[in-house]
Amino acid sequence: MNVIEKLEVLADAAKYDVACTSSGVQRSGKKGQLGAAHQAGCCHSFTPDGRCVTLLKVLMTNACVYDCAYCVNRASNATVPRTAFTPRELADLTIGFYRRNYIEGLFLSSGVAGCPDRTTELMVQALRILREEYGFRGYIHTKTIPGTSLELIDELGRLSDRLSVNLELPSKQSLGLLAPNKSRHSILTPMRHIFESVAEDKESRVLAQRRTTVYREKRMARKTRAFAPAGQSTQMIIGATPESDYQILNLSAALYTQLSLKRVFFSAYLPVVADPLLPATDAVQLNREHRLYQADWLLRYYGFNVSEIIDEENPFLAPDVDPKANWALNHLDFFPVEVNTAPLEALLRVPGIGVRGARLILRARRQSTLGEAELRRLGIAYKRARYFITMNGAYGGSGIDFSRDALHARLSAPIEGGRHGRRADRAVQGQMSLFEAADAPPVLPEASPANRAALDVAFEAQRRALAPAAPTRAMADGAGGERRTALDAEAPHTRDESPLHENAPHDDDAREPLLSVA
Amino acid sequence: MHRANATAPASPALVGAYPAGADTSPFAAGSPHHLPLAAVPSAAPDDIYDEVAYAYDGTLEGLLSAIFAAYERHENPTDVVPESRLQPRLGQRVAAIPTNMSHAARVLRGVKRACGWRAAHAVKQASCSDEPDAGTAAYRFVRYAMDEQKRRNCERCRKRSSCPGRSGAGPCPKMRGRALSDITHPAVERLFRISRSISQECEHLRQFVRFQHLQGESVGDDTGTEVWFARVNPKASVVPLVMDHFVERLGVQPFIIYDEVHELAGVYDGGDWHLVATAGQGDLARALPDPTADEALFSEAWRTFYRSVSVDARYHPELRRQFMPKRFWKNLTELQESPAALRTARS
Repeated sequence: MNVIEKLEVLADAAKYDVACTSSGVQRSGKKGQLGAAHQAGCCHSFTPDGRCVTLLKVLMTNACVYDCAYCVNRASNATVPRTAFTPRELADLTIGFYRRNYIEGLFLSSGVAGCPDRTTELMVQALRILREEYGFRGYIHTKTIPGTSLELIDELGRLSDRLSVNLELPSKQSLGLLAPNKSRHSILTPMRHIFESVAEDKESRVLAQRRTTVYREKRMARKTRAFAPAGQSTQMIIGATPESDYQILNLSAALYTQLSLKRVFFSAYLPVVADPLLPATDAVQLNREHRLYQADWLLRYYGFNVSEIIDEENPFLAPDVDPKANWALNHLDFFPVEVNTAPLEALLRVPGIGVRGARLILRARRQSTLGEAELRRLGIAYKRARYFITMNGAYGGSGIDFSRDALHARLSAPIEGGRHGRRADRAVQGQMSLFEAADAPPVLPEASPANRAALDVAFEAQRRALAPAAPTRAMADGAGGERRTALDAEAPHTRDESPLHENAPHDDDAREPLLSVA
Repeated sequence: MHRANATAPASPALVGAYPAGADTSPFAAGSPHHLPLAAVPSAAPDDIYDEVAYAYDGTLEGLLSAIFAAYERHENPTDVVPESRLQPRLGQRVAAIPTNMSHAARVLRGVKRACGWRAAHAVKQASCSDEPDAGTAAYRFVRYAMDEQKRRNCERCRKRSSCPGRSGAGPCPKMRGRALSDITHPAVERLFRISRSISQECEHLRQFVRFQHLQGESVGDDTGTEVWFARVNPKASVVPLVMDHFVERLGVQPFIIYDEVHELAGVYDGGDWHLVATAGQGDLARALPDPTADEALFSEAWRTFYRSVSVDARYHPELRRQFMPKRFWKNLTELQESPAALRTARS
């Protein structure tokens, strides 16, 4: 296999990793060295699915001893050819691409070849060539493999800008079911370790920079690289298991507050391999993913608390209005907001005013009074915002009843899904179509409490697998049991038995989140 | 060409937002019929309605010189446009403004001092724009910002005693950043928009420049230095604004970014970068040396990568077009057919 063929296989295998950002670190260039990094990152291309290509996203190898049900590289999938880059090949490819301005850096992940430590050593080797031999100053994002020893993670952290550990699935039970080789322990331990190392590294750097005396301090003998200066991120699959948006958002809020994650990515489940435990439907929960990302933005940039976005009674985000509009509709007593005096936090709560718009308003209103024309000129979505603001006392949405139902009708908008893909509007909802059966794939009802029963059907296999007490699981579920025993023989040391199987619950609905809000 | 304008310069508050002469017209304020003849300013009517357009050479220095000239001649030009884009209005006088480096430096320094470096940068960006009214927008903004400085009210300012603006030694530091942030003012809004669109175009260039590795031209025994060449087609002449970015990250390789629309090449020779105007020299790309041996390999690898990272189930071409406008596609390596595939298709 030549390098191009390898690249084809290994890029194809890595494409389901959604995290692809090059942001979070500012590093200027250095004379005689290749590369620099920018705080905001840079997208160098966009694939036909509209996703950005910023890093060379590849796997070190797609050979894997793990057997995660949802993964294209699972050990039992015989249909994909297996291959691996040598560290040198990978480094040369990265440099060649970077010099042509194709990419911003490298995103390196890997299947588990043999054991996690050995795989990580290969990755470290490739990164060493890049950083030390070639003096590469571009962006490197590395995915750590659950089960890697902490010493190797330290080494990875010093070579990369961002580390990430995939959470994969939102609850302990789902993880045990679909990714039998990974466990809460093997995922959260490296995450905590990265969190602590980043914090410690930042602190020591601040201390080293602070001048405590008027005398010039001795410089550090050798400058070490910062430990993952762009922090860590994670991702989880949405829709392969029956967890609600409530559980998912609470988990991500806990990750942001407790482990200082930079991003939590969501990946709508795509059936790539057939497995009896996975929902057989071909529908992609792209709209649900979209709403979850909107909620995620509210958590990170708009100062929302997770309890304001979603509660236990309505565990799914509303499909027809975005979470921010939904909050506004439920808190009409907060509105209208006076744009000429309201603080930033209040402006950020107004549907139609985003972070950029709110900042522009603050800037512009220092010198002039803002009315409708001015707001339109600033480029905020006046059409949506008008119902929730006053401009120097004048209410913008007069003529419309200031009630939940009337405003809901104004604010609800379908998600723009394009005209060609799966989300394309082929027919108006509720309208009968001649070609429905042939054209549209069976749609998994998403985010609608009324359709929980249908969800239950889709996840019936998982429910059955979880129902009996854990030790008897292998007997209850023939196929799954065989698969696991085969794997045990292959790589016994990679299994992490500890927390999963002693206390598997009898009730599926009580899926325990990997991390909960303290 | 220059005619001294006998009317007093327009009142500062209105300059920029209105055409010259409109507010100084004796007929504008009250009913003209009741005015005694003596009350009409002595200027001849053709001076009152005198409209002038300044034509500059299209460079930043030219634009700044034009702004300087407006102050020097006590005129308020309706249009400040590059010569190449000039379309005189009916009855409009055209004044060609020669570029003067020292004038340009003075204006830029003044703008920086009075309105801050952001405003100076916005003026620079406007000079790169292809919009026909970019020069006018920059001129109006400078007029407005400078007048704001004059109009400031220091009465309740707590720093009055130590302010350089009060003693006349310099501009008021509190006003400095403010000119550009009054975004809803018509004199600022246009420049703000132009500046934003130029920033976007710069970002597009940072994203979509694709270098090719070319062999050096061999002269005798000397094989020459290899060069990395990129062709771009931006909407505005932004190559000068992105050269620093590329020099910073690709400082180890000499490269050329050739803007085929504006016939301008940014050339980095390994030490410093220059701009070379290539107008009248034909298509630069024809004179290029051959690509190096590994160029085909890497571009093929990139195409392969691009093909394989796409997830078919998420197909959404509108989204791609939104982020990556089609006008860039002709120079993007990943969206071109590979030469090998073309050859097989032909045979």
